[in-house]
Amino acid sequence: MSPTKKLAATAAFLASVLVAVPWAIAATGRNDLYYTLTSVALLSIASAGVWLTFYIGRINIGQGAYALIGGYTSAILVVDYGVSFWLTLPIAGLFCAAASVLIGLPILRLRGVYFAMVTLVLTEVARLLALALPITHGASGMVSIPAPGAIRLFGVTLVPDFATLQNPRLAFYIVSVVLMALCYAGLYRLVHSRMGRLCLSLQQNEELASSIGVNIAWLRVVAYAISSFLGGIGGAMFAAIAQSIYPSSFTVTDSVNFMLNCFLGGLGYVFGPMIGTFVLYFGWDFLFQTGEYQLLIYSSLLIALMLFLPNGLLSLRPAAKKRG
Amino acid sequence: MINRRSAVTFMALGTASVLSIMAGAFSANAANKELKIGFVGVTSGPAAAWGTSNVRSMQTRAEWINEMGGVKIGGETYDINIITFDDQKDPKRAIAGMEKMAQEGIHYVVGPNVDDGAAAVRPVAEAKGIIYFPYAFPKPLYVAPASNAILGMIANYQSGPAIYKFLKEKKGVKTIAFVAANESDPLSQREGGVAAAKALGLQVVAEKDTYQNDTRDFTPVLTPVVKLKPDLLVLSGVAPGNAPLLIRAARELGYKGLISTETAHDAKVLQEGAGELADGFISVGGASTPEIASDMMKEFVRRYTKKFGEYNDESNTKVYALDYILETLKANPAAINNVEEFKRTVDTFSAPNPYVKGEGKLKYVGTASFGQKRQIAVPMVVNTYKDGKFETLFVGEVD
Amino acid sequence: MEQVFANGLYLGAQYALIALGLTLIFALMNVLNFAHGQMYVLGGFITYTVYARLGLPFVVALFASGVTLATVGALIEKFLFRPVIRRSVREESTMLLAAAIAFLLDALILLLFGEKQRGVPKIVKGVFTSDALIMPYDRILVGILAIAFIAAFVLFMQYSKPGRAMRALAQDRVAAQLMGVRVDRYSMIGFALGAMLAGVVGGLLVAITGISSGIGGPISIKAFMMVMIGGAGVVGGAIAGGFILGMLESVGLSALHDYGDITYLVIFAALMVFLSLRPNGLMGKPWG
Repeated sequence: MSPTKKLAATAAFLASVLVAVPWAIAATGRNDLYYTLTSVALLSIASAGVWLTFYIGRINIGQGAYALIGGYTSAILVVDYGVSFWLTLPIAGLFCAAASVLIGLPILRLRGVYFAMVTLVLTEVARLLALALPITHGASGMVSIPAPGAIRLFGVTLVPDFATLQNPRLAFYIVSVVLMALCYAGLYRLVHSRMGRLCLSLQQNEELASSIGVNIAWLRVVAYAISSFLGGIGGAMFAAIAQSIYPSSFTVTDSVNFMLNCFLGGLGYVFGPMIGTFVLYFGWDFLFQTGEYQLLIYSSLLIALMLFLPNGLLSLRPAAKKRG
Repeated sequence: MINRRSAVTFMALGTASVLSIMAGAFSANAANKELKIGFVGVTSGPAAAWGTSNVRSMQTRAEWINEMGGVKIGGETYDINIITFDDQKDPKRAIAGMEKMAQEGIHYVVGPNVDDGAAAVRPVAEAKGIIYFPYAFPKPLYVAPASNAILGMIANYQSGPAIYKFLKEKKGVKTIAFVAANESDPLSQREGGVAAAKALGLQVVAEKDTYQNDTRDFTPVLTPVVKLKPDLLVLSGVAPGNAPLLIRAARELGYKGLISTETAHDAKVLQEGAGELADGFISVGGASTPEIASDMMKEFVRRYTKKFGEYNDESNTKVYALDYILETLKANPAAINNVEEFKRTVDTFSAPNPYVKGEGKLKYVGTASFGQKRQIAVPMVVNTYKDGKFETLFVGEVD
Repeated sequence: MEQVFANGLYLGAQYALIALGLTLIFALMNVLNFAHGQMYVLGGFITYTVYARLGLPFVVALFASGVTLATVGALIEKFLFRPVIRRSVREESTMLLAAAIAFLLDALILLLFGEKQRGVPKIVKGVFTSDALIMPYDRILVGILAIAFIAAFVLFMQYSKPGRAMRALAQDRVAAQLMGVRVDRYSMIGFALGAMLAGVVGGLLVAITGISSGIGGPISIKAFMMVMIGGAGVVGGAIAGGFILGMLESVGLSALHDYGDITYLVIFAALMVFLSLRPNGLMGKPWG
């Protein structure tokens, strides 16, 4: 794609999510969609991280752990230390990234199902730690977390206090989709940079990449740290929306879902996890009317999808350039 | 081989079944207005039993009411329509469920079933004017400034002390041991239980033993606890599915003392899972023991059994929430779409309890625990299991 | 101490049997079968229905579980995994398919058998009691049966013609094909066998722990852990992993009893450290 085309596509996307969607919601009165779309945006941020680990050839079923760590980091800073939420958001991401470097250095040597399983266990470790550590308030979780406060710069209110807003859902929605747009723009940039190409070489053959002088250990850890950063951001935002966090707020199920989002959208496409999250989440939501048959129909459709599009939804795109 | 055509047929069938189910939802009594009551809770996965007994109680009761011509509130007759949402025990989904309820114009929701979900939906419920009835015990949900949650059952910190006191005085219990699943709800309940036991002067011999909730074989968990030979073994917040397994493991290891819990259980599950080993197991229930249950309760059990093939004793407690909602609305029709009216009515509301024999009252309680009336009064029937049935041990009350 | 050891052995035997089916499917097709636990649950409910509801002998019930699950496994391989594996670019895509099948089985089981925990009358009454050891006879029987099944499976893989073919397939798919092994056929047999093992162990354990509809996922995860400890795709590894995990749980819960809620934390952390040191488990092949 040419730079102008890219710019136009980005502008069109931002216009649709920031203007068209709120307008459509106002017109139809479907206010519940704000939260649903916010969820999709945040989950797709965390899924983007998982996608990046897929990109270096690792199956990551541990993103729930970082979402939980991020959520707790933000909640603890806000509640126990009175830090502004907006400051805790990047801190949560960075804390997760730092933790992931420590964890990643040994475990990134693992491959295939071994890495997948270790990360799966990591999710459970995070939950058990949240239950056992005093700083997380243990089993009783953290409730009544205050809503994000105002951001003022030189006396000008840049972001209003969410607690005073008429419709905080809309505010959360806007913050989340902006974060999502930033996240995917960054990911797109990364994949098309020199580093992205090196990552791709890891996915195909680590030994070969190493033999031609790629520092594979460094590359793996950086990719994993970025991935975990995104997980932490997603988790911190969720804690702010729910105004509560529990050890069970992000579990193995979430970790598995993040991974499924990537599969469904297509592992070869940067925007795969976004589409995958959207379809999986809305698919489930849409089947709400079917009551007790919800899971049955949902899983049948998933199987049908796999049979027809085993390489993900985006493989439908005609004449798609691979790894777009 | 699956080819494209057979899969298309499959998808078409899927779509057709979706449509037919949706069509089925609209076949209510056309003459009456519709009153939607929501449910947000878990009806799939390992904890499915909790929410399922909720949903089924509500559906049974609603069908029954509609069959009788609906419910009369302020001169208008309504058919009850239960809207359910499976949150899969995920607090993030629970929020979506509550948003959905708000979108459907629902002001009264039963659920969620667990602590994290109940805490997560609070911002939505308060913003959108929804009163919800969680089956979760954390006090911050019910203590001011929280105002929209009403506890749907008896909390363990209310029933626990009563049970321990009874057992201390009547059965000579001196030492007590706690075992809980390593999850928020059971751990919090264990904490409450330990505090209550200590306050009564009981000697707590084990208060740290936990198990993973997905444990299938509890012998390793219970081996060290049984060795301590406590007089009473408390299974804090035990899931209905795990209770018989724990009981069986403890008894087979030679444990001779009493076993109790503060949650509701199902006699059939205990019978199948532990048989006679479960005899003497003490739990808390609603009103199904023959000494207490009224004819209406028996009729409810009959209808439930007819509709779903098998009754679940947990529903003895869970049948109440819907009746509380409807009776309160009858008492103050303005509350039907204004929860502030509902909250005003809560303080004075009182109606006869149809499910128990005698003079039982439906009223809101909780002042002692929460400082405001944010709990429904369910008779605290402490019962003991014997030969596939529950027998009443004693009946208590919460204020 | 004897009690703790016996508990561990008994747990280990059942775990090893659970892990065998999973590792077999993995060895043959590089598919991590997320639905393994759900197959276990299905087997459990079939045994429950045949034994407790229909009143037929336990052995018949167990047989019914095995046959049903073998059929289900064969169909799933032929109509679902085979086409998807053939057409997908990255073989991990089968994970989504496996997860979807797990969801589907979960939904079906919940609709068919309900949400309640189920149990059956004891198959053998009585408890073996000595000074050091208390063990109910039904546990002893199930433990022995589990070990017998494991032995039978190992012998089958070692000496029978299909067993040899499957081992060849696991070692090198292309080479096996060139040597005249009918890959499709033995993949299907292998998948059926793996599913059958899940069903049989589910049925067997109904006698002790009963069965309930939601536990499939957790069982799968536990099985994954055992397979990782021993090494993915290796029969000996699965058996070792099962016994090691069983023993760790039993000893850990007793030894760490005073420290409360940390037994599993310690087990999981130890597993992570162990795998960082030995990236292929005890005896796994590299890249699983």
